[in-house]
Amino acid sequence: MSRFLQATVLGLLEGGLYALIAVGFSLVWGVMNIVNLAHGAFVVIGAYLAWELKEQFGIDPLMGMVVVAATLFVAGYLIQRLLINLVVNAPIWMTLLLTFGLELLLVNAVLFIATANLRHISTDYNTASLVLGEVRVPYGQLIAFGVAIVLTLLLVAFMDRTRTGLAIKSTGMDRGAARLVGINARHIYAVTFGLAAALAAAAGAMVAMARPTFSPGDAGRFTLFSFVISVLGGLGNTWGALAGGLVLGVVQAWGGQYLTGTLVNAIAFGALVLVLIVRPSGLLGKPFYEARVEAA
Amino acid sequence: MRRRACIAVVLVTLVAGGCKSSDDANSVQSTGTGARTETLKLGAALSLTGALAREGVLTREGYDYCKAVVNEKGGVKVGDVTYQLDIAYQDDTSKADVAGQLVSQFNDQGIKFVLGPYGSASTEAAAAVIERNGQVMLDSAGADDNIFAKGYKNTFAVLSPASLYVTSMVRAILELAKPTPKTLAIISADDGFSKTAAEAGKAEAEKRGMQVVALEYVKNQTSDVSPALTKIRGLNPDVVLVSAHLVEGVAAIKQSKELGVTPQGFGETVAPPTPDFVKTLGPDANGVLGSSQWTPDVAGKDKYFGTAQEYAAGFEKSFHKPEYHNAEATAACLALVLGIEKAQSIEPAKVRDAVASLDTPSFFGPLKFDSTGKNVTKEMVVIQIQNGEGVTVWPVSSTTKPLKWPATAR
Repeated sequence: MSRFLQATVLGLLEGGLYALIAVGFSLVWGVMNIVNLAHGAFVVIGAYLAWELKEQFGIDPLMGMVVVAATLFVAGYLIQRLLINLVVNAPIWMTLLLTFGLELLLVNAVLFIATANLRHISTDYNTASLVLGEVRVPYGQLIAFGVAIVLTLLLVAFMDRTRTGLAIKSTGMDRGAARLVGINARHIYAVTFGLAAALAAAAGAMVAMARPTFSPGDAGRFTLFSFVISVLGGLGNTWGALAGGLVLGVVQAWGGQYLTGTLVNAIAFGALVLVLIVRPSGLLGKPFYEARVEAA
Repeated sequence: MRRRACIAVVLVTLVAGGCKSSDDANSVQSTGTGARTETLKLGAALSLTGALAREGVLTREGYDYCKAVVNEKGGVKVGDVTYQLDIAYQDDTSKADVAGQLVSQFNDQGIKFVLGPYGSASTEAAAAVIERNGQVMLDSAGADDNIFAKGYKNTFAVLSPASLYVTSMVRAILELAKPTPKTLAIISADDGFSKTAAEAGKAEAEKRGMQVVALEYVKNQTSDVSPALTKIRGLNPDVVLVSAHLVEGVAAIKQSKELGVTPQGFGETVAPPTPDFVKTLGPDANGVLGSSQWTPDVAGKDKYFGTAQEYAAGFEKSFHKPEYHNAEATAACLALVLGIEKAQSIEPAKVRDAVASLDTPSFFGPLKFDSTGKNVTKEMVVIQIQNGEGVTVWPVSSTTKPLKWPATAR
């Protein structure tokens, strides 16, 4: 029983981190119809920047997270305006090719600058665990989980309650109509992409703090899990990313406990296929985005 | 550029030398005294990017150091000709199939002598191509016993096989740890090298009367081994041995602490000897045992690099404190050099036969290959991290400090 409880707790904590990694990916896909294969690279860059802030200036990763998110927001905004915007109306394979190339470029740049050495941010609080009977809850992962929940709530509030958030949603639904009512779609797309990059960077800072180690090679795995979680939860749906992340985390933890730890990716895709058979629009997906009108 | 440089040398020495095109693997310079200096190009497909980039770079440093020292000491003499070494590097992006293709490209370019890639998977892929093309490969980092079970004749590994990685730690613990531990849990990554090491270690422990309570597999290169740790926590083993790489090895120690897995001692195959292990884990690294192909305490000496201590001092001047990845790479290059000298030829078949019959000491330990190409006479070394430094604790003949046991009680 304690094994089951321990596995479930670890799965939920891991799932929260997955959700934070995936939420920006899901947003960009849902609003702009772009599968951003460079998303994992943004997570890795966020992790390295947070690590650098801690090493050079002793800035705690929870504080550093804000700085790296702001930095990546600006970078994301510019990347969208100068690069992604070139292919925003192109067929999907063009966007895949461009973002895949961007991923290679960014990951290799990180590899060149920071080398492939394994990194980790050590703080006073992320080496111990909360002991609840037979179950241990590592503080680092618990904090990352809390951050994931808070950022998800903030994103929901932003999307539902601010003019920019509503503009993002309406542009995602029908870009032509959004333009007709005076929304600057180019700006909104760039803000969306910047927001996604900022969330990825925040996730990176949490990865650096909560995971045992990180390195540039993790980028591909982050993108893969973001993909699975976005489809699992429902595209462009913030709650969906959270639900998808948690489901994936718990399913993997149970799989690792009662099947074998070597089948992580197989279990992830197995869960995805099962959910898609039962609910083709994802766990919390609505036909909402299916009604999107693609207009130039 | 090379063509121009080559022509310039010939003109200056006023001797009609055969100036080969830059496509050829080996170029010739004449000294005008009958003796000639030529360049012998070796090939190496290494993981310079991707998951194994770090180890790939360490391997390249070992090869580069070998090249520098051999060239500095006059090069490789074959009859009247002195060969200066040159190494063509290609990046296999940490993918085995790419390593195989690159080795084939080396053959197309006339490069017949290959220094091995990093890791068992790439080495296995390369070995098949080497055999088909009649090239000769000195394997520096492919330890999986499977590579040597296929009857290949042209691949020689200077390093001890995978089956000794966990086995040597089991032997060290049973010989040295007091009170003698009774139960063992093994966590292994699911790649061929780690599995071979784990299974051989399990067999050795059982043969020597230890009870192996679990053998759990985790995904190769994962940074999350908590599922396996959660499984073994309730079994309360005296010793936990991890057969994996750096990333899983670091995760195992960190997550054991988080999850309250507290055996008398931890041992890990390849992670503890790397400086990153101590750097990443800090004080938590103390007490962990590791198996190593080489430490500067190993006995043996050769004419190029001297003793292991001298090798370490020389290497540190050029790069940093050597890790065993560096040393095994240099040793592979050394074995090829010694083979060419012994063969007095750069014919691949003759060099192959000469390497097969080597029986010589070196800074890396003895170099002697069995009919499958394994270096059979060399022993693994077991180290323990004490006060942030790896010290040799086994075999007793190379020991620098006694084993601390219980090693990781918190």
